[in-house]
Amino acid sequence: MLKKLLSSESAASIIALVGVVIVFTLINNRFLTRLNIEGIIVSASISAIVGLGMTLIIAMRALDLSVGSIMGFSAISGALLLSHDVPLAFVVAVALAVGGALGFINSQLINLLRLPSFVATLATLSMILGGELLITDGATVTIRNSMYSKLVIGRLFGVVPWAAVIAAVVFAIVWIVFHWTPFGRHIAAIGGDLRAAAGAGINVKAVTMGVFTLAGVLAALAGLMVAGMLQNADSTVGVGAELTAIAVVVVGGTSLMGGRGNLIGTVCAAFLLASVKAGLNIANVSSKYEGLVFGGILIIALMADGLRRGARRKGMLVV
Amino acid sequence: MAENTLVVRRESTGVPALRATGMRKQFGGIEVLHGVDLELRPGEVHALLGENGAGKSTIINMLSGRLSPDAGRLELNGERIEFKNPLSARRAGISMIAQELEVVPTMSIVENIFLGAEPSWYGLIQWGDARRKVTSVLKELGVNAEPGRIVGSMSVADQQLVEIAKAIVGDFHVLIMDEPTSALNLQDTERLFKIVRRLKADGVAILYVSHRLWEVFDLADRVTVLRDGNLVASSLIAETDITTVIRAMLGNKSSLIANAERPRKSAADTKEKTPTLSLDSVDSGTLLRNISLSVHDGEIVGLAGVLGSGRAELCEAIYGLRPIDRGTLSLNGAPTNLNEPKASLANGVFLLPEDRKSEGVFGHLDVRENVVLGYNPATDPAAVKIASTTTNRSSWRLAGAAPIPAPAERRAFDAMRAALGIKCSGPSSNISHLSGGNQQKALFARGALSHPNVMVLSEPTRGVDIGAKEEIYSAIDSFAARGVAVIVASSEISELLRLASRIYVLRSGRIAAEVETTSTTEEQVLKLMAG
Repeated sequence: MLKKLLSSESAASIIALVGVVIVFTLINNRFLTRLNIEGIIVSASISAIVGLGMTLIIAMRALDLSVGSIMGFSAISGALLLSHDVPLAFVVAVALAVGGALGFINSQLINLLRLPSFVATLATLSMILGGELLITDGATVTIRNSMYSKLVIGRLFGVVPWAAVIAAVVFAIVWIVFHWTPFGRHIAAIGGDLRAAAGAGINVKAVTMGVFTLAGVLAALAGLMVAGMLQNADSTVGVGAELTAIAVVVVGGTSLMGGRGNLIGTVCAAFLLASVKAGLNIANVSSKYEGLVFGGILIIALMADGLRRGARRKGMLVV
Repeated sequence: MAENTLVVRRESTGVPALRATGMRKQFGGIEVLHGVDLELRPGEVHALLGENGAGKSTIINMLSGRLSPDAGRLELNGERIEFKNPLSARRAGISMIAQELEVVPTMSIVENIFLGAEPSWYGLIQWGDARRKVTSVLKELGVNAEPGRIVGSMSVADQQLVEIAKAIVGDFHVLIMDEPTSALNLQDTERLFKIVRRLKADGVAILYVSHRLWEVFDLADRVTVLRDGNLVASSLIAETDITTVIRAMLGNKSSLIANAERPRKSAADTKEKTPTLSLDSVDSGTLLRNISLSVHDGEIVGLAGVLGSGRAELCEAIYGLRPIDRGTLSLNGAPTNLNEPKASLANGVFLLPEDRKSEGVFGHLDVRENVVLGYNPATDPAAVKIASTTTNRSSWRLAGAAPIPAPAERRAFDAMRAALGIKCSGPSSNISHLSGGNQQKALFARGALSHPNVMVLSEPTRGVDIGAKEEIYSAIDSFAARGVAVIVASSEISELLRLASRIYVLRSGRIAAEVETTSTTEEQVLKLMAG
């Protein structure tokens, strides 16, 4: 079991995660306190949920830059509905539907206007952010529903944070969809070789629609969780989250060249980045250095990806 | 000649599995298939033969739903049918092994084989089921790999076998095989034949397209020959022979070519001299083995071979696009390492790539820019005299750092345009608007500006109309007359006979024969290629 795990593509991020935990514990034993660990779990769960959606997008050799703004939009929608005393279950359903609808719009821009996903979602990123400011007028919406925030930072059986439970359920669903359904395999096929996929009769537009809609729903869920954690929502929710999501996917061992997706790696990388962030904080390193450290991790991950691909293509013509 | 070979079709017994009648197809206003009939019967292997451009691919693409016919009728088991796409043909029981690989390299064997047709239960793929089916097919094909193996990590031959496995898993009663053995070795080919015979016994109707005539005579029951989009012969294999079939494929072209007499260097003239470029027992990649050849100043040699024989790969190996793993490449007798195109160009070796669109022409640039790309007047002996008045700057230019003066470029372009007869409305017309022949001439001009000693031309007249072909031939002749050593690789034997003094025939990555063009015929070369 251990041997199989080490030889798998997720090995690098698992080893790095263990290493980071050991190093930060040695630097300051406060790293392993319950409060710190819970903080890491909640924040990692949220970025893992966005990252899992992004893994599918990248497996299809696409990018979605709008997930951060979708997080903000759904958080604001949810907070506004709650302030009008709408029942919680209904609020969650509407906010997720809004995220799905925004993802659907992304897919239609790509399918109908034949825009590259990078460009289409760059445009919607800007538009959704603009929409958030128009709705809130730049103000913060406070959430007074205590049950809502308990669903994120509260604990199941007093032990496991609900955020982790939600992330685990999302992981199981995405895993089954990606590995055990024709839809999931078609995502990988499109990313691996578009011509061969189309030749096999795969409806590329339908798959694109499904993937972007799913990524939108997952981003909306993450947005709701952030709002629950902060007990308020404004247009800063999710800012920069698309870059974190892409980083989490790449560090987790999924190649930007598409065709494969490493879901376990994505979750491990989410925990890795959350641990590094918390560790730097505890080691009293100024948060100003965070960007530098994260960028360094990303470069190492991309180099590893390049080496892996190089090995795979060895002996083949490289022009 | 064609009349002699035309055998009247026998009246068929029973309903054909797939019948095509009067199939026609136009591309860009030119009809390439002029009403062809074809009948595939259960339990019969039907071979389809013809030279490149005879219309073989067009008709099989129509039978498998990849192209829709302009006119004609398809009947499946006696009932009229139309295919919207490859999937609808596959669902109707028509399976096809495409010539080009259509596998997803990042996915496993089993995922590739069932892609688009995954066996599922309430939406979940039944991997266990799929694996079991794949394991038995792989065993039959002799592929020694787990079903979970990633296809991109396998050899090209094994990938081809996966492509074949994809076609023969599941239900079908018509199988179209387009050059299925082009990437296979002898052993794999034998195994494939065994499977074809088993499928035949099971009552599958098989259409077999191949350039390898011996293969066809070994395997097929019936043969149909296409030439220039017409059906010229169809008969039972038992009632014909290879010579008759080759004559039908060539028509009366072969007699025309023999007349194309012109002065050219014979091997005797050059035997004593050091060759300009020579290969000595060169191995490259998984295909090319023990290649030895030589070409002298002012000589044109041909490379003949079917698809997959290593013809295109050899051109790329000479130019440094593929590594030479063993053996030596020598220029003027000195072993040289051309490990990348930059080194080749610096040593005066130029390659005209086979795929003009993707590897040669810059479609968004104009003709002049395409021609003078990489042109440096400082290294051009013809331009240096003019430039010598500004010597203080020419050292910059040698390093490629100084801007190239527009007049120098203009002069270079005008000279080339006149020499090669490039027809365009002006230097600034977009190259994409030019005909294929003129685009090719522009690429020739780019090569000529680098003053090469060796030109490697891969399919120099592919997609070029007949008039422009002659002009390109005379351009090649004039390069040779100026002392350039020329290697022409082509799938058109008539072209090689027209241009070259010697032809190397490639088969399965080895040089199978070297022939003098004065003492050979198209038929002989074709036989050598087929092996």
